[in-house]
Amino acid sequence: MEQVQKSIIRNQKADSSFLVEMKKTAAGKRILDCIQCGICSGSCHARFAMDYSPMQIIKMVQLGLKDDVLSSSTIWICASCYTCTSRCPRGIDIPLIMSSLKNMAIENKVPAKIPTKPKFHKAFTEIVGKYGRMHEPQLQVKLMKKTSPSQVFKNMRLGLKMYRKGKVKITPSRVKHAKNMETIFKSAQKKEEVQK
Amino acid sequence: MKYAYFPGCSVEASAHEYGMSCMAVNKVLGIELVEIPDWNCCGSIDAVHAYNPELSLSLSARNFSIAEAMNMDIVTLCSACFFTLSRASKMLHEDPNLKGAVDKIINDAGLKFTGEVKVRHYLDVLINDVGPSKITENVKVPLKGLKVAPYYGCLLVRPPQVRSFDDPEHPKSMDRIIEAVGAQSLDYPDKTRCCGASLALTDESVMLEMTKDVLLSAKNMGADCIVTPCPMCHFNLDAKQKDVEGRFDLKLDMPILYFTQLMGIAFGLNPKELGLGRNVVSLKKILEKLKTPIQVAVKA
Repeated sequence: MEQVQKSIIRNQKADSSFLVEMKKTAAGKRILDCIQCGICSGSCHARFAMDYSPMQIIKMVQLGLKDDVLSSSTIWICASCYTCTSRCPRGIDIPLIMSSLKNMAIENKVPAKIPTKPKFHKAFTEIVGKYGRMHEPQLQVKLMKKTSPSQVFKNMRLGLKMYRKGKVKITPSRVKHAKNMETIFKSAQKKEEVQK
Repeated sequence: MKYAYFPGCSVEASAHEYGMSCMAVNKVLGIELVEIPDWNCCGSIDAVHAYNPELSLSLSARNFSIAEAMNMDIVTLCSACFFTLSRASKMLHEDPNLKGAVDKIINDAGLKFTGEVKVRHYLDVLINDVGPSKITENVKVPLKGLKVAPYYGCLLVRPPQVRSFDDPEHPKSMDRIIEAVGAQSLDYPDKTRCCGASLALTDESVMLEMTKDVLLSAKNMGADCIVTPCPMCHFNLDAKQKDVEGRFDLKLDMPILYFTQLMGIAFGLNPKELGLGRNVVSLKKILEKLKTPIQVAVKA
């Protein structure tokens, strides 16, 4: 808990509206059920790459340490593997809480510790908005600008190999009822704006 | 046996051989998968959800709306689609406010849904509707002596709060398939560990570390190959295996198959129909070990 304590000292002014805001989300409404047992952190397969453990993040949300939580690497590293939730004695949906925190970080334009991540979510959603389905090569291309040249080269080599093996679809598969998709995207986006 | 089939985006592209081998196996077992007409992205576990949660649920809901008219259980091959659709159905069932908000979005598009349709994974159908004994009956080439490490990954069995057909800590469904086709299924500690999933695209070094643990664990246990039910896991374990080898200075050479491909080999089906040449790590080694009549038309 040392890290959390440091954060408390650093953040003299905790933001009490943070918890209120989180409690409005689907999984966040149960965030006060957490008993800080640490099973989530002990079970997390990606803990080694996180700055705060999942248990610490939950506590920090409860304490209103909004800036520290939204600028942590933890929220972006969580791969939604659900080992934590499977073992959580209180049945808290931790990956979904992480997802809502990502959402808040994106909307508050908090610089992400892993800069590719917000771009990934945006690009993914845009592609699904355009075709109704994912088109893997376009996602790779959209993320390319954020990666190093050597990585781009490596990805292209793998892409070519996969193409030769018939695993790359050049023309995207798309939903025929495009109007349908367009309406869903528009009204979901409108709802988001109204809520803000 | 007839189901509303949700292919999902990966099975149409990078996981093409999963869909192909599934269809080939279906012909043998008499399973009919009727594609949900004009299906769309399942909604994604986190990719769309983190951007706009209600949009993600609405994407699931459009699929429900089409599938509900078919009056059959939804069946999917992809663990992530299986989980996303199951979770959406559960969330919408438990939260009337959320259901109301998504209803509004879906109604705007001129559609209606209840969200009460049952979502199942293909592996669940094989174990509980078809049964391992029927699988064994159709084996032409028993995979004797082949040591297979089942890799379940995450979203097929976790979390138990969202509909589950297998044990979240010690799943057995794929082991039963492996044994039904005459191979030996290996018990090893990391079969439900996370491979790193979409971190492959955003933070590759973390994903490589996670995938390495799974590959090494199976290798150290003496596995001839790994089988998986998930396109995302398959991509990381198979297509990214060379990167794992490079980064950690390892020699793995571990073939990664979809469990449907393994079944197809045992059923003596045409390797082309099973897409055996599409796996990135060559399957030559295991096909030679098996001395199957399928002697390898597999491109390296």
